[in-house]
Amino acid sequence: MSRGYYVFYSRDYESLIRGGHNFNTLSFSNEPIHSNTADIDILVCLDEKTEEMHKKKLKKTSMVLSGEHGNMFFAGQLYKILGIEVEVLEKQMKKLKNFVENMKEAFKGYNSEKRTLGLPKINPNAHSSIRFMNGSQAIVYGALKSGLDFYYAYPMTPATPIMMELGLAQLDKNNHHKVVELESEIAVINAALGSSLVGSKAMIGTSGGGFDLMTESLSLAGMAEIPLVIYLSQRPGPSTGVATYTAQGDLNLARFSGHGEFSRVVIAPGDMKESAEKTGECFYLSQKYRIPCILLGDKHLGESKETFENQIEIMPSINSITKPERFNSYEADSSKDKIATESSDVIKKNMELRLKKQAIIEREVENLETHKIYGNENSRTVVVAWGSVKGAVLDALKILEEEKTEIKFLQIIYIEPFSEKITHELDKARRVIVVENNSTSQLSQLLAEKSQIVVENKNKILRYDGRPFLADELAKEIKRRLR
Amino acid sequence: MKEKNKMKTKESDKKKDKTFNVRTSAQSTWCPGCFNFMILAGFERFLQNQLKLGKKKEDFAIVTGIGCHGKMFDYINLPGINALHGRGIPISIGMKLAKPNLNVFEFAGDGDSYAEGIEHLVHAARYNSNFKLIVHNNQVFALTVAEPSPVTERGYKDKTTPQGVKLKPLNPIKLMLAAGASFVARVFADVNQIQQVLEEAQKHKGFAFIEVIQPCIIFHPDVDYKQHTYNLADVKHDKTNFKLAMERAEEFDYDTLKSSTKIPLGIFYQKERETFEELV
Repeated sequence: MSRGYYVFYSRDYESLIRGGHNFNTLSFSNEPIHSNTADIDILVCLDEKTEEMHKKKLKKTSMVLSGEHGNMFFAGQLYKILGIEVEVLEKQMKKLKNFVENMKEAFKGYNSEKRTLGLPKINPNAHSSIRFMNGSQAIVYGALKSGLDFYYAYPMTPATPIMMELGLAQLDKNNHHKVVELESEIAVINAALGSSLVGSKAMIGTSGGGFDLMTESLSLAGMAEIPLVIYLSQRPGPSTGVATYTAQGDLNLARFSGHGEFSRVVIAPGDMKESAEKTGECFYLSQKYRIPCILLGDKHLGESKETFENQIEIMPSINSITKPERFNSYEADSSKDKIATESSDVIKKNMELRLKKQAIIEREVENLETHKIYGNENSRTVVVAWGSVKGAVLDALKILEEEKTEIKFLQIIYIEPFSEKITHELDKARRVIVVENNSTSQLSQLLAEKSQIVVENKNKILRYDGRPFLADELAKEIKRRLR
Repeated sequence: MKEKNKMKTKESDKKKDKTFNVRTSAQSTWCPGCFNFMILAGFERFLQNQLKLGKKKEDFAIVTGIGCHGKMFDYINLPGINALHGRGIPISIGMKLAKPNLNVFEFAGDGDSYAEGIEHLVHAARYNSNFKLIVHNNQVFALTVAEPSPVTERGYKDKTTPQGVKLKPLNPIKLMLAAGASFVARVFADVNQIQQVLEEAQKHKGFAFIEVIQPCIIFHPDVDYKQHTYNLADVKHDKTNFKLAMERAEEFDYDTLKSSTKIPLGIFYQKERETFEELV
């Protein structure tokens, strides 16, 4: 980064505390980069297992750093290969304990290495305003800018980084929010509703299993009309599934959870900037319309780190509940102190009021960034995706462009309500290809329901092994569908 | 003249009383003679007293669960929420964290507190969240017509248990003591007892657990509790002594009453410590 490169890195770790095989994949470029690729240029092996496990992805030109050395030896070697002066490493390591011994090792590594990649020199000052964040940090940024008062949670990967980031942020005197861990996800959502109904801004975060526990109370938020922001960070299910890996299997869960019919907003940010900004929109919409807003993310978005230059713009925050009020889980009569009712007139009237509210929310959301178009706008071949898959699709598109294949990419951000503009966009397409991290293509189900578009099975690119899409592999997959 | 003056004061009294009216316009739908009326009247008197002492209605909030007791929300005109079954406690905790000065009174049933939401009860005691929980214990699921609850005595029969309940009931007083509740009390559904215990609970800084024995006159009518009760204050019970509190709690196990059964009423245990709101 300090050399002026754009960086994307993702983490692959197992659900254990010590041991196992954990690795990070780092990609960098002189142009913005949003994902990793499958092939490896440099493999740094901190143990013997690493080389064995990643052998298959090595090319003839790949460099492998291995042997019985410490981390800092490899760091020195790596700096030499990348053509970065060892002094830069020295500067970065200054804060570390055992600095002198560590640097000794690094110098050894640096001096022993003879290879270099010969990377082009670029101007490190070209983008001095660059940010480097993971999705979780971006969400935290958005929540704090929106005036978060309480974050309630029960630890669950991959939502926990939010709890940790917000927890640490309590040490900053400029922040006033509190992070509260309670006995279960059921307690978490109800405590958040309790704080919210007396006028505080509350947010909760969990993954699929914890969200399942919350859904009765999600319906309560819908009935009683209490604002709430819920971060649902997906991992592979069903059940406990694969705790520390990524998936997009909970689109339908976010859309359909909770009994009865009530309004909700479901937003799926696709990158770091969107993660921050859509969190702000969740707070804004949930307060304005007193509804639950679900921010739908996943492990890959929440824990991968990316550089970006664009400014983050957070929607102005509002407070809906400013005086003591009465709320009811029963259908209740608003003209009579919110007393529970069984009157057919009131039941019907209330349901119609909720439907009317839904229509108003739909209208407002049409003015927001419900979707984005990338690539060749005139192409009648459209790749559709949502959430963290965006990064790999953008990079795959770039690979295809270099091969003179220019297609359109439609990123859906607002799942609920679903913009009519997306339907118009899809109506223009001759071929729709979906890319998703699940096995049943829940996005295709969404498009069928909302836009009456049937995606052919052969045009569904689905990955459901817990791993994120990789740009080079995805480009090949898309290309296969273009024949 | 004197008579006229008297009339005047009476009228102004009436006006004054109106400002202390804490009821909604709802017509009560409890069974005639239901002991819930006693709990409602006791809370109403407590509230009116608080308002007379200078507190405002906005200083109070109520939370209720689901069951016959839940209708308290419809009858008392205070801000708050009629929550989900068993989930009132975390709502109260969230309200108190957001507004520590708000006096939150939660009414719940034995189903809410001892069945569906028992984990919240245990943790509320552990956290010492500064709200007051009043459990209407009628030892039966009344609103769903007569199924046994975790505190129903052995041998009790209804359509779902024609051969009688076989499980030993839970002793909530012991549970609350073990969980670290800083105020543990049991009263009978009697207006004065309710008012008095609420006043004590209001003065207590921290979580207050108040169980009210409230016989259901329709589904659980054949038990004459009153013959068995005695007041802990009358025997000079030391409410700061945890061991003694446990011993008193063991006197009544919620099972079928024998002629020798004694049911202690009043405050079993009270010891203040830092509240959740102070610690979080």
